[in-house]
Amino acid sequence: MTNKEPIRIGFYICHCGTNIAGTVDVETVARYVATLPGVAVSRDYKYMCSDPGQELILRDIQEHTLNRVVVASCSPLLHEQTFRNAIQKAGLNPFYFQMVNVREHNSWVHTDRLEATQKAMALARAAVQRVPHHKPLEVKKVPVQPGVLVLGGGIAGIHAALTLAGGGQKVYLLEREATIGGHMAKFDKTFPTLDCAACILTPKMSAVRASSNITLWTYSEVVKVDGYVGNYKVTVRRKPRYVIEDLCTGCRECVDACVYRDAKFSDEFNLGLGKRKPIYMPFPQAVPPVVVIDPQTCIELKTGKCKKTCLEACGDRHAIDFQQKEEIVEITVGTIIVATGFKIFDARRTPYYGYGVYPNVYNALEVERLVNASGPTGGEIVMRNGQVPKRVAIVHCVGSRDENTNRWCSRVCCLYSLKLAHLIHEHTRAEIYNFYIDMRTPGKSMEEFYTRIASEGMHLIRGKVADVYPDPSDGAQGRLIVQAEDTLLGRIVKTPVDMVVLAVALEPQPDAQDVRRMFNMSCGAEGFFLERHPKLAPVNTFTDGIFLAGCCQGPKDIPDTVAQAGAAAAEAYALSCRGHIEQEPNTASVLDDCSGCKSCIPLCPYTAISFDADRKKAVINEALCKGCGTCVASCPSGSIKQNLFEDEEIFSEIEGVLAC
Amino acid sequence: MVAPTETLTCQDDLTLENLLQTPEGQRIMSCIQCGMCAGTCPYGEHMNYPPRQIINMLRSGLLEEVYQSDSLLNCVACYACLAKCPRKIRLTEVLLPLVKEQMFEKLPEVPKELQSALQNTLRYGNPMGLSPLKRTDWIKSLGLPVRVLQKDPKPVDVLWFVECQTSYYPRGQENSRAVVRLMAALGIDFAILGNEERCAGECARLVGEAGLFDTLRERNIGVFRKYRFNRVVTSGAHAFDAFKYLYPSFGFDYPLDHTTTFFADHLNELKPKLARKLDYRVTYHDSCCLGRHNGFYEEPRALVNAIPGVKLVEMVHNRVNAICCGGGGGGMWLDTYYKSKGMERLSDRRVQEAVATGADVLAVSCPYEISRFEDALKTLGYEKKMIVRDVVELLAESLRE
Ligand SMILES: Cc1cc2nc3c(=O)[nH]c(=O)nc-3n(C[C@H](O)[C@H](O)[C@H](O)COP(=O)(O)OP(=O)(O)OC[C@H]3O[C@@H](n4cnc5c(N)ncnc54)[C@H](O)[C@@H]3O)c2cc1C
Ligand code: SF4
Ligand code: SF4
Repeated sequence: MTNKEPIRIGFYICHCGTNIAGTVDVETVARYVATLPGVAVSRDYKYMCSDPGQELILRDIQEHTLNRVVVASCSPLLHEQTFRNAIQKAGLNPFYFQMVNVREHNSWVHTDRLEATQKAMALARAAVQRVPHHKPLEVKKVPVQPGVLVLGGGIAGIHAALTLAGGGQKVYLLEREATIGGHMAKFDKTFPTLDCAACILTPKMSAVRASSNITLWTYSEVVKVDGYVGNYKVTVRRKPRYVIEDLCTGCRECVDACVYRDAKFSDEFNLGLGKRKPIYMPFPQAVPPVVVIDPQTCIELKTGKCKKTCLEACGDRHAIDFQQKEEIVEITVGTIIVATGFKIFDARRTPYYGYGVYPNVYNALEVERLVNASGPTGGEIVMRNGQVPKRVAIVHCVGSRDENTNRWCSRVCCLYSLKLAHLIHEHTRAEIYNFYIDMRTPGKSMEEFYTRIASEGMHLIRGKVADVYPDPSDGAQGRLIVQAEDTLLGRIVKTPVDMVVLAVALEPQPDAQDVRRMFNMSCGAEGFFLERHPKLAPVNTFTDGIFLAGCCQGPKDIPDTVAQAGAAAAEAYALSCRGHIEQEPNTASVLDDCSGCKSCIPLCPYTAISFDADRKKAVINEALCKGCGTCVASCPSGSIKQNLFEDEEIFSEIEGVLAC
Repeated sequence: MVAPTETLTCQDDLTLENLLQTPEGQRIMSCIQCGMCAGTCPYGEHMNYPPRQIINMLRSGLLEEVYQSDSLLNCVACYACLAKCPRKIRLTEVLLPLVKEQMFEKLPEVPKELQSALQNTLRYGNPMGLSPLKRTDWIKSLGLPVRVLQKDPKPVDVLWFVECQTSYYPRGQENSRAVVRLMAALGIDFAILGNEERCAGECARLVGEAGLFDTLRERNIGVFRKYRFNRVVTSGAHAFDAFKYLYPSFGFDYPLDHTTTFFADHLNELKPKLARKLDYRVTYHDSCCLGRHNGFYEEPRALVNAIPGVKLVEMVHNRVNAICCGGGGGGMWLDTYYKSKGMERLSDRRVQEAVATGADVLAVSCPYEISRFEDALKTLGYEKKMIVRDVVELLAESLRE
């Protein structure tokens, strides 16, 4: 069909039951539109989106040789695709179509029938004047490269990577620490089942290592992300661990042989509660099961003057390499799953709880290590002063639900506090006092868990702890007073305890903003990564092909984390199986008269515009362009044109809506 | 650290009836009944209706019952509840004064000491009941000139609002003399209102005597309007609060400082003049008004640390968690009443913590605290162990002679 042919428009207005027809006099509108130039057919129909409705259009196109179609009904978001498909079936280019919203923009927001009808007429006229200028466009297909990047090797990243690998996808799993496992690797038991965290996690960690589809890079970080959905180019920095992964057998003879006879450096994995040597394995089940050398404490790396007894011990395995350098690698993947997790709240920000001041005040993660059989005390709850506590207070909501710190509820603290209450009691027989504001135990089996723990005989006190201070009558024994109002009794309680456990909040990672920028994602006000829709697109981000899993999207427990990781894997898998993505053709392009002023380049929110230095002109990458139009409006010489929004289309639409 | 509370001035036209329609009222509706306020209140265990309960009663329409109780006489306006409330409800400065006002009207009997302090303030402009004519007596023994605006009304840079304790009470007067010496050393152009000055009225307002406060505020603002000056500096931590939060809705709009923050701002010029080494081990008591209410935790410490020889040590409860001296919100004149109820004096509690640090000087920045802590040290038999000094007194002591 060429532009020379006379324009023959078919116009259809939908009743949408009474949704539209109840307010807009659809028959009058149809009669009016029939009188407009170019209109060959004008009808109203009860449900345009129904099969008979679509049939109607199809038949008219053939019988009346229509070459343009306008439908006045609901929002294009809902049915634009439906109608485009219908006219395509009749052999017409799907973009010879314009939709008019007379429901959300009209019948649902107006009450005056006469005025609503006039508005519908004006909107219909605008579309009828616009549609003759439409050009045939083509939906482009962009291939999706194989390969998925999973960022973060906590339980979320591990589960997503295994799911994808199980389906035959190639996965790069990137973790910045020396081992995968994330927070879960630090726990002893997990609520609500109280099953051993290592027993359920370490098999999955080993499976990651065993999978031929997963490339595991620990001690690695992303430094740059380029490209677009289906074709992301990711630059990775692999930090030197001074040990060749493929050669190390994980025997740890080097650790024993280190010139430091005793471990004397603060052990990060145990949050400083234990000690390690300069050469160490973060924990026995670490994956990869290889050692790492810390350049801050290793004598050889600091001064080059060590006897290097570790090297000797390693012998002809030759796994230790003091010359190892940082490596920069670029990989190409089709999709990305971000699973960077959370950090715990720094309890020094609530100074009235004495964290960092009184040695017997611990945060919950430290206590997770203390109750852990592979932790620094071998699972004995021994405090910094060498004693076993007889009375322990657990303070809920530290850094949660508080306008002075974080406004959100961290969701897992009540439950892990109950878990710790049980575990501490089990290990020490101590009296446990849980101070809570509201006991929040949503989720399957969680209330039952609460009932179980409560019936074990914890003291549950409803009141936010106001103050923790040394017992003045106790001298230097380290006994603390926990002061709060028991709001159910209406009494102030001052409970003497030996140990205080702070149920600290879950917060966004400190580098969340950098990661957000790199991957072009959004963050909510709290700083967690934002999902595209809180209900209907919970693992999608606003950038196509980038998905979220786990606590980086918001605090959640392990069951929810794993469910979300599975969902993110499925989304990535779906894209990759399809093999291509369809590109809306409403993209912008730069015309030849571009003066090369570059003013559009920084304005594009999707970084789709680059500068061609040879031609001295801006170039728009079609695959990245989302059709927002920002550059079009900004170009001082009017040298950017956007499909479906060309000047003549817009101007005739405006004329149409204003003419009466 | 806990962020200092937002510095919103207090609306004059709030009543308990219209409160819930205001943004402040909506914040009150968001109370989660966590009990932080009651738990942190230094007298929480003696209140039938601690702040949490008051909100509960307010929301249930049962506030009438609260007025019948004298429970809120135990509130010493220490801002602890306000500073730690997870919903940032402005208890000490908005809700509690409104409730106290109602309670005060219905009190069968106002405790005698408080009654006479309030009457004195109404009659003489100071709670001691001393003649306004004697307000400047402290200058006589000073040996340095102090300009009084009434006698010499030409424009001045700093209007120094001395306040009552620091004008009349002998130990307070030493604070004033120290301020003059520091001002002189810095070459500051300052003057005082002299006999025209009246109590700023913050305690009257916070104990529930809104009428008396209005009278004092009107009178002081009238006097301010007579003269030309660039800023107000006051020695009173409570006066500072009054000017900052309660006077603005009445047209007070001068730049404002407390002497502590004023000298902290001049620390660079002051430092070279602090030549005398003071071999003190000092612990600093955060005044409720300057600390919790305004977030000035570091300024006074910076001043103390600037004095050569001084070693600063902290008490168990410091900064946002400091224990009130018990003098705010009318508490200054309720010691006998509290004693009759079997309640411990907060200044006693505080002084025990101070002594436990091993310090020999308890540094303060609110004029109420000097007398309260000196008294407590005496009662507890610690007067040989520890002395009380205002931060400005320590600075003046360290000045090159
Ligand atoms: C004290 C405590 C006890 C808990 N107990 C339980 C329990 O009993 N049961 C339960 O269901 N839940 C429990 N939880 C919640 C549980 O920890 C989380 O649900 C779970 O850890 C979330 O997993 P994740 O993979 O999203 O995050 P994480 O475990 O935080 O893992 C994120 C990983 O990403 C890595 N990473 C971060 N940033 C980057 C980056 N930029 N580049 C590369 N790698 C990066 C991190 O190093 C880490 O390995 C508890 C939480 C706490 C704080
Ligand atoms: S239309 Fe929008 S997305 Fe496309 S290039 Fe222009 S600014 Fe970028
Ligand atoms: S201001 Fe202080 S004394 Fe008054 S209720 Fe609050 S915490 Fe208690």
